[in-house]
Amino acid sequence: MNPAVHMDGITKRFPGVVANDDVDLAVERGSVHALLGENGAGKTTLMNVLYGLYEPTEGTVFLDGEPQSFDSPRDAIDAGVGMIHQHFMLVDPMTVWENVVLGNEPKTWGGLRVDEDAAREAVADLSERYGFDVDPDARIEDVSVGVQQRVEILKALYRGADVLILDEPTAVLTPQEVEDLYGVFEELTDQGKTIIFISHKLSEALSAADEITVLRDGVNVGTVASGDVTREDLAQMMVGREVLMDPATTPQEPGERVLEVTDLRADDDRGVEAVSGISFELRAGEVFGVAGVDGNGQSQLVESITGMRDPTEGSITYLGEPMAGESRREHIDRGMAFIPEDRQERGLVMSYDLTENGILGSQHDPPFAENGRLDWRASRDHAESVIEQYDVRPPNADAEAEDLSGGNQQKFIVGREFERDPELVVAMHPTRGVDIGSTEFLHDRLLELRAEGKAVLLISSKLDEVQGLSDRLAVIHEGEFTGVVDPGTVTEEEIGLLMAGERLDDDSVEGAALHDAATDLAGDSGDEEVDA
Amino acid sequence: MRNPLADLTIPVLDDLIESDYVRSLIVGTVGVLGVLLVFGALFPETVVGDLSGIVFSTSTAASTSRLAAPIVLAGLGGIFAEKSGVINIGLEGLLIISAFVSVYVASVVGIGNTVLGVPAIWVGFLGGIAASTALAGVFGVVCIEFKADQIIAGLAVWLIALGLAPFMSTVFFGGVNTPNLGARIGWRYSATMVVVATVASWWALNRTAFGKHLRAAGENPKALDTVGISVSKVRHAGVLLSGVLSGIGGSALALSIGQFIGSGETMVQGKGFIAIVAYLFGNYNPVGTLGAGVLFAGLDATQIRLQQLGYAVPDTLVQTIPYVVVIVVLALVGRTRLPEAAGEHYETED
Repeated sequence: MNPAVHMDGITKRFPGVVANDDVDLAVERGSVHALLGENGAGKTTLMNVLYGLYEPTEGTVFLDGEPQSFDSPRDAIDAGVGMIHQHFMLVDPMTVWENVVLGNEPKTWGGLRVDEDAAREAVADLSERYGFDVDPDARIEDVSVGVQQRVEILKALYRGADVLILDEPTAVLTPQEVEDLYGVFEELTDQGKTIIFISHKLSEALSAADEITVLRDGVNVGTVASGDVTREDLAQMMVGREVLMDPATTPQEPGERVLEVTDLRADDDRGVEAVSGISFELRAGEVFGVAGVDGNGQSQLVESITGMRDPTEGSITYLGEPMAGESRREHIDRGMAFIPEDRQERGLVMSYDLTENGILGSQHDPPFAENGRLDWRASRDHAESVIEQYDVRPPNADAEAEDLSGGNQQKFIVGREFERDPELVVAMHPTRGVDIGSTEFLHDRLLELRAEGKAVLLISSKLDEVQGLSDRLAVIHEGEFTGVVDPGTVTEEEIGLLMAGERLDDDSVEGAALHDAATDLAGDSGDEEVDA
Repeated sequence: MRNPLADLTIPVLDDLIESDYVRSLIVGTVGVLGVLLVFGALFPETVVGDLSGIVFSTSTAASTSRLAAPIVLAGLGGIFAEKSGVINIGLEGLLIISAFVSVYVASVVGIGNTVLGVPAIWVGFLGGIAASTALAGVFGVVCIEFKADQIIAGLAVWLIALGLAPFMSTVFFGGVNTPNLGARIGWRYSATMVVVATVASWWALNRTAFGKHLRAAGENPKALDTVGISVSKVRHAGVLLSGVLSGIGGSALALSIGQFIGSGETMVQGKGFIAIVAYLFGNYNPVGTLGAGVLFAGLDATQIRLQQLGYAVPDTLVQTIPYVVVIVVLALVGRTRLPEAAGEHYETED
């Protein structure tokens, strides 16, 4: 039997670049196939060829053994290929059914009226058939991201897709939603659909896919069955060298108290309490991790600490001085670096070049500013040094931030913030959207800061990241710490329970929440490292 | 047994009125009018009595519908353009050009003559619509194909019409004001057109596939593009419709008195800009736009009559009433939500 999708010797050249070089890809009907690779490896280009957005320079696409030539995505849709983009193509104020049928509306009254009942029914039927649990009349802006993704899938199914391509489907999902998505995959493949998804996350490819194809620099490095490989094998295939998957933390005595947060409460933008009485302290040379499902008060906690939001109650003491209510500039001047969660919204000015972006936050200070004038030469030197040290590509201080890929934007922000020579780094999702090679590099830099005696507050939704880097790990749920645990000994199940809002009864784990236990814990996790 | 009427009427009303906001607008207006009527009847000798006498007179109704036609129709047109993602602030210009061309065409044909059985005044009417649509088409090409700034292009449409119409009038008729045609369209025609256009617009926006596409083009054009529908076609359609509707409004305005007045701000006198306020006030709902347009036109008509009563208030101050109301209303509303991609250019990837 012919494979559902067979891409034969696909080469795609852009002026000056070979994005795909003689790539073969075969996907069996009813299977889940992961396309794995670092940012810029050519995954998306390959899928755009399959989706009809690009015409291949060489090579042919076969569907069920039939050669195809797509001029536009429309042709691909007609041939049964559906694409679910990373950024959803949905109209927020419209309802689920309106979005699903958009462009293919069933009509009555000679085309003068959209047959709403028929559309609603069709969407409800599809939703039920694949076990999606989606309300056709809900508005897109009112449903969760996970549901929005299902609406995208429904859109493709409604148009008769047999092959579904998903571009980084888990990038925007919570861990629970990721599990649900894997369930959706199973349901779809059981009914004969074929799924190809693009990813740069190893764990995702291993747990969801039947087969994995790794692309590197536009070349197919190999296709393997997911049962036959380990994370380390895949990482090596992707990066082309051996990758240290677990950052090596060395035991270290925490020093002076840098940050002390006591009974902090803060509201979100709607005035609903988002942080409900959080206390912790952070010492020099220590990484304090905060894990939790996104939206449990992490943003408001970080905003309060970095001076972007006034807490409603509680105190924040930084280097012995009260900090709550101080301006953002005061925070920066006192040596608090901040890697924000949304790099395009808060980390960079997208239409500024890197020279300008590089001095954001330092624009008042020498050597960049003197007598009210900006010294562009010093600014440029600074940007170039960040670019070089943090391997930002393209290495051009004149490039505008919006011309950089997400991973490179992130590297530039991390570089800028770390080069402030801070006493405290507040890092929120520092490696979100960054490929493994760069992630490893950023992790190393974080640990170097720790070794230099800086304090690091690390907030991440990637469990392995916070667990691997932190000396102490707090789990946040609905604005409260459900526990502060030793990341070296805690199990994933325990963290999962804490993330879901349950508290562990174990006294020893609770004890870790006490400030005085910090020193002991650092010792404990050290032992752990030696054993491992 | 359930009352079948309850099932019949409520959904239709709910759909039509759509939001609490529009509902409160309608209730508020009716309420104010009711209070005015009651107090006017109780105290006929007071200011309230005068006001009530003005508001509830037939001549005010006629003049309201004459003044409301351009506001409501241009406002409806503005909804189509803006929902599709093109902010058309050139509505004023479209009203001016159609007002002049309608009178010009009617006078060229000659009152009393017909073309294919259509009386001259209606030929003029169609001519006005054609002129406005053509100008809107140019605006659309400039904004959509050449990606000009929509605000600047819209201002250009206004300024071109503001200069061109009186100029043409001078060329063809020897003065910025055209002579009176000696024939006109009755106010009942204007009122009918306004109501029909409002209902048809509502249907087109909320019940047809085109309405959904229009909305998608303005909210997330990429979503529309990826399902294989041309965003620029939909946007062109939206802009052309704004031309057609404004053309009806402008022609109705001029032909309802049978003359084009080109002095000063021309006879349109900012009605195109009030139209923008009207559809924002109506939150992009044609029914709300109708309400807002009638409210402003009513205030304007009342204001004109108030001047004639000769209170010890300067006329210039009385003239500002509709505009003061506009400002107050805008300050109070502040709740309308612009389409997400309005004002943004869209480029397909392939």
